[in-house]
Amino acid sequence: MDTDIQNSNIRILCRKLVLPKLHDQSAEIPQIRWLIGSPFFPSPTIIATIRCINSADFSKESDDIRILLPKGFEVIGALIVKNDPNFENSVGEAVDAAVRLRKLLYGDAGGGFSEKDQMLVGGVVDLNNAGDVQFFTFKTGNVKKIEKISSILYEEQPEKYVWERGCLLQCELQIKFPVYYPPKNPKEVEKMYIRATEVVVSNLVDLKTTYIMEANGPSAGEQPVVLSGTDLELHKEMSSTTSQESKVKTFACSDLCLKAGKAISYTSIEEYADIIHVSILSNRSKRSLKPAAPIAEYYPAVEDAKVLVVDHKLEVLCYAAKDLSLAAAVSKLIIPALVDQILSMRNKILSHLLTEHPQLQPYHFVPPGFFIPITIFYELSYGEMEMKQVETRKTLHIRFGLPLDRPLLRVVNAINLSVKDNKTTGSALRKGSSLLKDVHLGIPSSGVSGGTVSLIQGSYEYYHYLLDGFDDSGWGCAYRSLQAIVSWFRLQHYSGIDVPSHREIQQTLVEIGDKDPSFIGSREWIGAIELSFVLDKLLGVSCKVINVRSGAELPEKCRELALHFDTQGTPVMIGGGVLAYTLLGVDYNEVSGDCAFLILDPHYTGTDDLKRIVSGGWCGWKKAIDSKGKHFFLHDKFYNLLLPQRPNTV
Amino acid sequence: MVKAVVGEESRLKLIEDRLSQASVPSQVGLVIGKLSKSLDKGFVFDLIPTPLNDAGEPASSLIESGKDDGNKKKGSKSKPQSDSSALVIDRDWVSEHARQVSRMLLGGMKVIGVYIWVNESSFKNSTITLCQTVKGVCDAVPFMDTDMDERLLIHISYSPRRWTCRNCSLASNITSSSLRPCDFKMGKVLSSLKEFRCTYNFDMRLPVFSENGSSIRKMSEVLRRGLSTHAKELKGAKCLINGRLGIEDEQYAPDGLHEVEFLLPFMHDKSLEVYRQTEVVGVLVFHGSVCSFAYLNPKEPMSQALNEIKEDIIMSLQSRLEILCDEADRDSESIIDEDQEAGRHLSMGKQIPQLDLQLQREFSNLSFPRRVFIPWLAGTYICDYILPSETIEVLKDHCVELMSMEAPEDDSAILGLESEALYVTSASKSFWDIAASQLSSESKPDGLISKKSKKERSPGTSQLAKLGDLSIVAAFFVLIFSVVVGLALFVFRSQ
Repeated sequence: MDTDIQNSNIRILCRKLVLPKLHDQSAEIPQIRWLIGSPFFPSPTIIATIRCINSADFSKESDDIRILLPKGFEVIGALIVKNDPNFENSVGEAVDAAVRLRKLLYGDAGGGFSEKDQMLVGGVVDLNNAGDVQFFTFKTGNVKKIEKISSILYEEQPEKYVWERGCLLQCELQIKFPVYYPPKNPKEVEKMYIRATEVVVSNLVDLKTTYIMEANGPSAGEQPVVLSGTDLELHKEMSSTTSQESKVKTFACSDLCLKAGKAISYTSIEEYADIIHVSILSNRSKRSLKPAAPIAEYYPAVEDAKVLVVDHKLEVLCYAAKDLSLAAAVSKLIIPALVDQILSMRNKILSHLLTEHPQLQPYHFVPPGFFIPITIFYELSYGEMEMKQVETRKTLHIRFGLPLDRPLLRVVNAINLSVKDNKTTGSALRKGSSLLKDVHLGIPSSGVSGGTVSLIQGSYEYYHYLLDGFDDSGWGCAYRSLQAIVSWFRLQHYSGIDVPSHREIQQTLVEIGDKDPSFIGSREWIGAIELSFVLDKLLGVSCKVINVRSGAELPEKCRELALHFDTQGTPVMIGGGVLAYTLLGVDYNEVSGDCAFLILDPHYTGTDDLKRIVSGGWCGWKKAIDSKGKHFFLHDKFYNLLLPQRPNTV
Repeated sequence: MVKAVVGEESRLKLIEDRLSQASVPSQVGLVIGKLSKSLDKGFVFDLIPTPLNDAGEPASSLIESGKDDGNKKKGSKSKPQSDSSALVIDRDWVSEHARQVSRMLLGGMKVIGVYIWVNESSFKNSTITLCQTVKGVCDAVPFMDTDMDERLLIHISYSPRRWTCRNCSLASNITSSSLRPCDFKMGKVLSSLKEFRCTYNFDMRLPVFSENGSSIRKMSEVLRRGLSTHAKELKGAKCLINGRLGIEDEQYAPDGLHEVEFLLPFMHDKSLEVYRQTEVVGVLVFHGSVCSFAYLNPKEPMSQALNEIKEDIIMSLQSRLEILCDEADRDSESIIDEDQEAGRHLSMGKQIPQLDLQLQREFSNLSFPRRVFIPWLAGTYICDYILPSETIEVLKDHCVELMSMEAPEDDSAILGLESEALYVTSASKSFWDIAASQLSSESKPDGLISKKSKKERSPGTSQLAKLGDLSIVAAFFVLIFSVVVGLALFVFRSQ
């Protein structure tokens, strides 16, 4: 094996290469991680890494990756993580894995955009050697000749790098077709279904099929571009270029990219990336033949026959360099992506076509740490929380290096790129953002010297008295605290339910039998126990309760609370004899015992003015005894602390 | 409510002259034109007199009240006025005329009412009769997409000579208040019309379910149901106008002929919405093309033109189906006396629309008549349908009889944009072949489609197909040969 050391460098776009932590139980060693690049970027550039979870079965792995990875991104190499000081061995494994997977994925030709002798990347991490990564390149033509990479370039703004150079193509396609079969021979239905999908595939490249490409957003001033079958590069021999057609052919993706770097900072892919929507229609007016008068032909079934209607919802995302022509984007990205999706869907449902009606549907996610989308099929006929689905998500979490106790790949986490829905989510977002979020950010420090701050993890909304014009002054503080807690679960994507109103909270309590029906519409207080009932009922969240007989005992619970914020990270409700508060964190010095509580006070009656809230101390650090010697927690009252437990699930 | 009506000056003047010269006491006929809801305006293109009925009598006549004492209606109402006379109209005949004429009109042209040439006092005495006539016409040829329940009643009075136009509201029961006068003037209407053209290809696969006691059994019924689903699908279609995507807010089309192309969802059969795993007895393939025209007033928005052309496509298919059903009805009446069994075999071809598909166990097909376009007024066209068995003479008869126009002298002026029905698939194919082929047949290149008429079907089929294959093979060899010769020449010269 030749090893050259050259002054080559590699560009890495992921903030940090997602590597397994040693204490992570799921991190089996050795493992293979796929290096993701793009044919549109100078090689070698690594955009992301994805863990291989079928190292024993590459054909399954390639099936997964094919659907997962949008066209326009590709596997450009493999990274081997292991406890083996023998570098040479690992290099061989990386090369072998990369070549094998690429062959399954892209065939011998190497895919639509790759050259014959593609440069691939290998990487080796030796965990014994402080987890250093060593990269090398090799060519598919000669896998023996590897070149070590001397320097690694970490891109400062990877999102900018990716989305300035390219755009996202989105194509949604709902197809529905009949499958006829003889009930005597149900096996036949599979054959007929396969033939039907073949017809779908061949129709995608039919001359009558028309692709309409439009820029994202209602403000799009750009005219949609219409590509007919003859404009695509599939029918080179047939295209009789008139001036009109050749004009259409010259359109590039950039002609439909409107954002063009207008977005300053990356918030979400929907906001940041240029998105082109592609819709597929069938032109019923193409003049291929002299139009012939209609005719009706009746074909009676000679034996018993049944028909099954198959309905597939496809949605593909593709990444295209902005200078790529729209025709090439359709013929080299969109169509192959759709074909892959149809075939994959077919393989998944073929065997139980008649017994069940699988509702497979593609969803797109941008998992934390990623800035390119990935596509996942979910089968949701039995709901999201069904065990099989949870297992599927768990595997995916492992694949993307995500924590196994946070739901990050549920349907509510999916990104939504379709034009129509954009408006509705847009309005929902606006409605959501009318409430203040995370008001504790930027408040003055607690003043505990040498303390360790433990805070909630994630975002919440500030619910307080008189919000939304509902007068609950004097009785609704616990309701507001509950709303803030529900908003946290909502924003963390544990649930998609709306934050319940006072009435809905009361209804829930009546439903579970805790209260009489007269409770609904009343102005009665609720406490920590009622909150735990509602959280259980609405979210399936269980809670831990800490009781103290006197406010004076609360500082003693600081250690427990700090642990709660570090492990669970959920907002805590403080109830009991008097007022209800929401607790967002503690600042605790174990040595001196000095402590402070980060209180979110629902008793605020003013407008949503962050300055007033902070200066008025409605959200701020409270010491048990302030500088004036005043006790924040009353000594003659009891307190209940409600600690919602984060569901340990994905 | 249409408030103002403009009539085509060149036509109406001519009609007025003709009527005054003919010196008939009354004449009833149809108003051809367009009622525009968006403009609140009516446009009259032409008036067409209703021909003599089967008994050879005119559709309207005046009966002198003096002689007509037996008439109940008159008896109660009339005062002994010497010039008052009652108008009698063969309403069914006028409605039937409207039905026939509307089949010949293209998009944007409709039967929008009735005209009457009669003296002033008779008109006043007969408003109810006239309103009922208008209602009869409206019921015979309802507008498809709009809920406009009004039609025009144009009165041409001969003493004094003047035109009046009334708007006849048909929403409620007909009373004397149903008629409201509207502003009528002459002007140029036809020459400014904009023309839209479209060729629409369709391929419906209509499964025929095995439903015992189902009301939909006949081929014509299955087709009718398929058409109505298809109409809904077409309604939501996107379209290209002159190759550009039709944008909603683009108001007015530029001048000239506009080519419309319709884009429908890709492989998303709307008619399949309702069922899963259902038993079928067969599949009815309904395919072909419709050539369509629509005319639009320049002040109307472009979206209207698209609606008109969609309506024209669906109406054309419905009209053809009606024609076939009419034929079948006429046929079955004529053989009613004959031996049932023998008759069934004799006239099998014409009876196909009435076939009970639940019982049918053999392949059968039904060729629809093709649509031809006949030059009409000011560069516009009307259309007619020709069955495979008919000749162009039938069409000339229709022009003269129904449209009261001169038959076109030059046959070449008639546009035969549609060719005769093509059998895309052959009778040798089985149900399973069709079931598996989905919607792919349309896209097959020319060579695979053999045009056949019924006579040629059974024995000639395979030979025809082979011939087609042979010619392809021959062409291929010629191509190879020419390439070889060219290469040889090239090599020879370069040496």
